[in-house]
Amino acid sequence: MATREELLKAKIPCAETGIGIRHTLCDICAPSSHCGVDAYVKDGVIIKVEGNKDHPLNRGLLCTKGASNRQYIYRKDRIRTPLKRTGPRGSGEFTPITWEEAYETISQKLLGYKKEYGAQSVFFFSGYSKWYRPILQRLAYSFGSPNYGTESSSCFTSGLMAWETATASPTRPDMRNCRLFLGWAHNPYFSGYLGARNTERLKKQGVKFIIIDTMYTQTVEKIADLFLQPRPGTDGALALAIANELITNDWVDHDYIDAYVHGFDEYAQYCKGFHEGNVEELTGVPYEKVKKAAEMIHEYGPMSIRESSAPLAHHINGMQNYRAIMALSAITGNYDRKGGQIPSPFTYTHQASGYHTLEHEFVKEARKSSMAPPVGAQRFPLWNELEKEAQSMDLPRQILEGTPYPVKAVLAFGMNFRMFPESDSSMRNALEKLDFFVDVDLFLTDTSKYADIVLPACSSFEREEFKSYPGGYAYYTKPVIAPLYESRSDADIMCDLARHMNLDDPLLKGGYRACLEYILSPISYTIDQLQEADTPLKVPEFAPHQEFAAIRRGLDTPTGKFELKSEIIASHPEWGLDPLPTYRAPLDDADPALYPMTLTEGGRLPNALHSRLHDVSWLRTLRPKACAEISLEDGEMLQIGEGDLMVIETPAGSICVHATLSKRIPRGLVSLYHGYREANVGSLVGRSRLDPYSGFPAMRSNRCRITPLEKDPAADASEEKPVTGMPDGQPVTGMSDGQPVTGMPDGQPAAGMPDGQPAAGMPDRLPDAGTPQLPAGRDTAVPGQPSGAARKGEAHE
Amino acid sequence: MSKMILDFDPVVCCGCGACAIACMDQNDYDPATGNAPFRTIFETQELEDKPVFSHYSVACMHCSPAPCVTACPVGCLKKDPQTDLTVFDNTDCIGCHSCAMACPFGAPSFNGKGKMEKCDGCYLRLKYVMEPACVRVCPTGALRMVTEEEYEKAHEEHSLVEEARKIAKEQI
Repeated sequence: MATREELLKAKIPCAETGIGIRHTLCDICAPSSHCGVDAYVKDGVIIKVEGNKDHPLNRGLLCTKGASNRQYIYRKDRIRTPLKRTGPRGSGEFTPITWEEAYETISQKLLGYKKEYGAQSVFFFSGYSKWYRPILQRLAYSFGSPNYGTESSSCFTSGLMAWETATASPTRPDMRNCRLFLGWAHNPYFSGYLGARNTERLKKQGVKFIIIDTMYTQTVEKIADLFLQPRPGTDGALALAIANELITNDWVDHDYIDAYVHGFDEYAQYCKGFHEGNVEELTGVPYEKVKKAAEMIHEYGPMSIRESSAPLAHHINGMQNYRAIMALSAITGNYDRKGGQIPSPFTYTHQASGYHTLEHEFVKEARKSSMAPPVGAQRFPLWNELEKEAQSMDLPRQILEGTPYPVKAVLAFGMNFRMFPESDSSMRNALEKLDFFVDVDLFLTDTSKYADIVLPACSSFEREEFKSYPGGYAYYTKPVIAPLYESRSDADIMCDLARHMNLDDPLLKGGYRACLEYILSPISYTIDQLQEADTPLKVPEFAPHQEFAAIRRGLDTPTGKFELKSEIIASHPEWGLDPLPTYRAPLDDADPALYPMTLTEGGRLPNALHSRLHDVSWLRTLRPKACAEISLEDGEMLQIGEGDLMVIETPAGSICVHATLSKRIPRGLVSLYHGYREANVGSLVGRSRLDPYSGFPAMRSNRCRITPLEKDPAADASEEKPVTGMPDGQPVTGMSDGQPVTGMPDGQPAAGMPDGQPAAGMPDRLPDAGTPQLPAGRDTAVPGQPSGAARKGEAHE
Repeated sequence: MSKMILDFDPVVCCGCGACAIACMDQNDYDPATGNAPFRTIFETQELEDKPVFSHYSVACMHCSPAPCVTACPVGCLKKDPQTDLTVFDNTDCIGCHSCAMACPFGAPSFNGKGKMEKCDGCYLRLKYVMEPACVRVCPTGALRMVTEEEYEKAHEEHSLVEEARKIAKEQI
């Protein structure tokens, strides 16, 4: 019989240990996941997490990121109280203040700018978190400002706009019923992990898979029947070439096109420009593979397409590339078809769950027609037409230039200035220039250090919230622990501010729950019932997809059809945009002789989610350093070995990172994850390189060059010293307290690196395949470079 | 309760590392200590006509018989009589590293006090009808906890336990 101490050590939930299990959700990644969590709680403290087996989405599973929730929630840099800045911007010098003082200061300031410069001079910004967004949007509108803008100005919305242009509705792939799955930049193993299980199940059931990706991902490795590897940002040319092959062979659905598709003839004519003679030159994909893809599309239907929300969009031609890919669904008759693409109107916070709420009304009724045009409206007219909110990518410019009107204050929930192109000289400078900046966050981030007032938000484990899931599910959580320190729910902060500013909005002033009671009024369950259930409930109002119903009824596009040629764009020639999904080359005009390689930012890692997990030390053990991946061939040619420091330069700037040599990367490509404070790849993306259709930044296709950092002999001598600094003087490990997180006892990697090096204390006599094939010039694991060597990087800037 | 086998399939694994993180959460691992974690992951890459990758998640192999148990001079390590997992009580550990010398897989880790720690297969969770933390979280099903009967009847084609048994046999 185990002793109480043994049971406590094993964290067994039972009466003897006093450990209880409470249900909540993980909101570390996108709302399309938000897996159900079992939190092991003892004495009001979370001591362990695992997936909730009763949750309809994840059925007990969690991903790498979700498994780290406990460390994420208890990060040492959690903000404890409201703070008022006392030192210069960015210094991190603050003094604690009360909530009352914070609210009073913010209210007086914001109302003051409204009076002096108009309500549009106050910008309401949301970072990556999405659960509170309708509340924030209504707060902005009730305040009188059109300037509600979010991080989704650089993620997801480009694809949404492409679908809205074509069909006036969001869609999703009906993967479960397809026979052919076209996964375009689709790697669920490292992002949206539940998709990997579905993919594997369908593979076993005989579904065919075409995977298109710039890298040889885990999905290519495990799933692909056919793999096409275009260069970054050339997806549009590839899609048009596949279309041309389908059209030339008469493998299109003429009856469907005649009845439901607009602009086919002009589109077909345009596709003729992408053919055997130029497709490999344009995209890097051999024509034989284009032919094979077209053959598979012809042979196996229905086809559903998954286009990822970031990698395809982050190019100056991103939205047009999306449109070219989506066109494949229309010409093969797969839109609104079972097993194809299904129109999926949003239920709540951009999640299509198959039932209706009043989210749209809740936001729209607060918007006044007399408002000024939001930030970005002039520069990105299609964005403004479709999204009716600010394009945040234009915010730093407008703050700095003051045109067409000044922006004086920003109320931000989770801003990260490194998200913006040329971050340091654009958004960081803009934050310096702002009259008043409030940042609400869980953590005292580098961005929040620029704020005049910082407010502490709590995590999903410390609040209640509504969440909708696919398949008709509705969930209203309970807090599993009390908010840490003095932190509060973001939504409560918004409603508190509405009360303090005495806005004419009784609903907002009634609080988050009152808002949700209104929004959820079309469903049968009350919030009390949902919360009592403690697990998602299927709402009776759930209405599954009816095949061809939407397209027979007529879409909400100008022609009522799937528009290959957009009549919205055609009716605005002054925008200078193309009604057809035309293609232009993605790269900048820097001299290819000087910048021969292509830098791509943000290829997913299993242990990172933007910047929010970079300071979670468990996850950092999986990849302790900011590492850029390059091909073995390029490493050999440039004399860069595994773990070596190298400098990446674009016309916009340079950074210094460690190299990882990977067979997943083609020659000529450099791939680096984003959000590292010690190596901010965002600073290398030119600020003017924005997609004119969507406003999205070209994060994934920039000309660059890499050079090995010359080794300093003095630095070599002190190589055994732990790393304490990187080029910018920040702790390399990203921990706020400067502690190394790498867990390297003897200079060995703590947990295995995905680079073929056996991890610390692990065998070198694994099965045959386990013998690492070391590339030429590869050193043993590099525990880190001393700060002296690292500082040399500055000379290159 | 039957003897249990913690098996792993490197072909099914995708190298996401969820198992390593769940193990850290279960065992309160603190990277700042510099101690080695109990479970680690890594990937190997080879180039044939196309890239070939193998993914590994490795911890104590729970050998039977276990050389570490024999090697420990103070009897800290033992085979759990019910599950046959290799468990420990490091109260008397003198930090001599004999277990680490005997282990073919480098599984024992040593904490700040110099005392041995390692994966215990979450044997107490098993007794309370819960899977080990790593198995519970594994999104691909590469890690599995099965009874010895189940294992002998049909272990996976790419069984790390099968490979480990060969390695241990050669060494011991």
